[in-house]
Amino acid sequence: MGSPPLFYRWSSKALVWLGVSSIIILSLGLFMGIGLSPADYKQGDVYRIIYIHVPSAIMGESIFIFMALCGFINIIWRAKISGMLIKAAAPIGMSFVLLVLTTGSIWGKPTWGTWWVWDARLTSTLILFFIYAALIGLHSTIEDKIKADRAVSILAIVGVAIIPVIKKSVDWWQTLHQPSTFKLTSAPSMSPEMYQPLLICVIGFYLVFAFILTLNLRNEILERESSKKWVKEVIGNQS
Amino acid sequence: MKRDLLIAFRRSATYITPLIFFLIVITFFPLALGPEQKLLSSLAPGIIWIAALLASLLAVETIFNEDFRDGTLDSFFISLEPTFILVFVKVFIHWLITGLPLLLASCVAALVLYLPFDSVSAMILSLILGTFFMSLLGALGAALSLGKSAILSAVIVLPFSIPTLLMGTSVIASAINNQDYTGFLMIMGGMLAIGIPAICLLTVEALLLSYD
Repeated sequence: MGSPPLFYRWSSKALVWLGVSSIIILSLGLFMGIGLSPADYKQGDVYRIIYIHVPSAIMGESIFIFMALCGFINIIWRAKISGMLIKAAAPIGMSFVLLVLTTGSIWGKPTWGTWWVWDARLTSTLILFFIYAALIGLHSTIEDKIKADRAVSILAIVGVAIIPVIKKSVDWWQTLHQPSTFKLTSAPSMSPEMYQPLLICVIGFYLVFAFILTLNLRNEILERESSKKWVKEVIGNQS
Repeated sequence: MKRDLLIAFRRSATYITPLIFFLIVITFFPLALGPEQKLLSSLAPGIIWIAALLASLLAVETIFNEDFRDGTLDSFFISLEPTFILVFVKVFIHWLITGLPLLLASCVAALVLYLPFDSVSAMILSLILGTFFMSLLGALGAALSLGKSAILSAVIVLPFSIPTLLMGTSVIASAINNQDYTGFLMIMGGMLAIGIPAICLLTVEALLLSYD
């Protein structure tokens, strides 16, 4: 899997599976959530944005942890593909964090009465957004791709410290944002008809991420190995 | 070590410039917000901290550039001492030169921003810990963007300096309210304790990037 040409060939088949399954599962989750689940007794139908908001939040954080792991592997074992994975994953993660912030704003206006509040969770998520931006900016300014990968690996490892802060921010501080619904030790505080579509949406989002990541990674491989013979063959076959 | 101190003393610009920058930024706030005493007094901890943050960040921008260009940085890696100790010493000396004058300037800032006199000692303690942490972070940013634009280094480092900012302003704010602020100082000290080895090691990694 670490060898670029092998990965490229394997991923063409994986892409089809990922694409189809992500469309099916995400549509199922969104339909069940937005269409079928019961209205909230306090918020009415506004809460349905949770089926986009919460999975995006989970993705934004998980992708950063993924990048930190890849960064660690890249620094210690110098595996080229782990460096490329960081570059492929970063824009996706940043888009998800942007999605969280905007859907959160939209959700906040009717329920809290405000588009934004400087509480711990919102502020730390905003910081995550800045760290993503810094990472993408750093990678684009360094010309040598291998060096850029390593610089970004360092930044990802340092930046992962913000993730526990975000996750625990609703427990550590007095926030306007509600506490977590899913805990490791006790049952969720939502009714099953509401959180089952949510879990399906989370899985759907993960599949979407895997799909886009594979697409990005394939592009990245083609771009970096463009002088190699196998790339010329692939491009030659397609044109 | 001694060499750095000598060079810095001879070129007075190294330690005067961050000082003047700090004072200029402090001046901008009353100009922009209006000179009303109550307003400035309530905002003073935040203003002083933001100015200190920016000044100490920009001061370390060029910490490695000259050494990189004239080859002194190579000797860091060849020498018998562990490189991260050398990096730490370099940052520490740099902070002594640029950060300590900042502490004096902050007393002036406290005066002109009508900060209550009793909280000045708390402010100085928080700034000592905070500006050193900022110098460390700034050194990491400088190493990552060695030879490239300074604003990139600032964008990388500033999100990580937010905890320092929060803790520092909390120290001064609790001092103003006559509450116990040692807890916050402990947290800042803890961040330094973990940060010094971690950031120095990461800075060495980052410097090595420019060598392959």
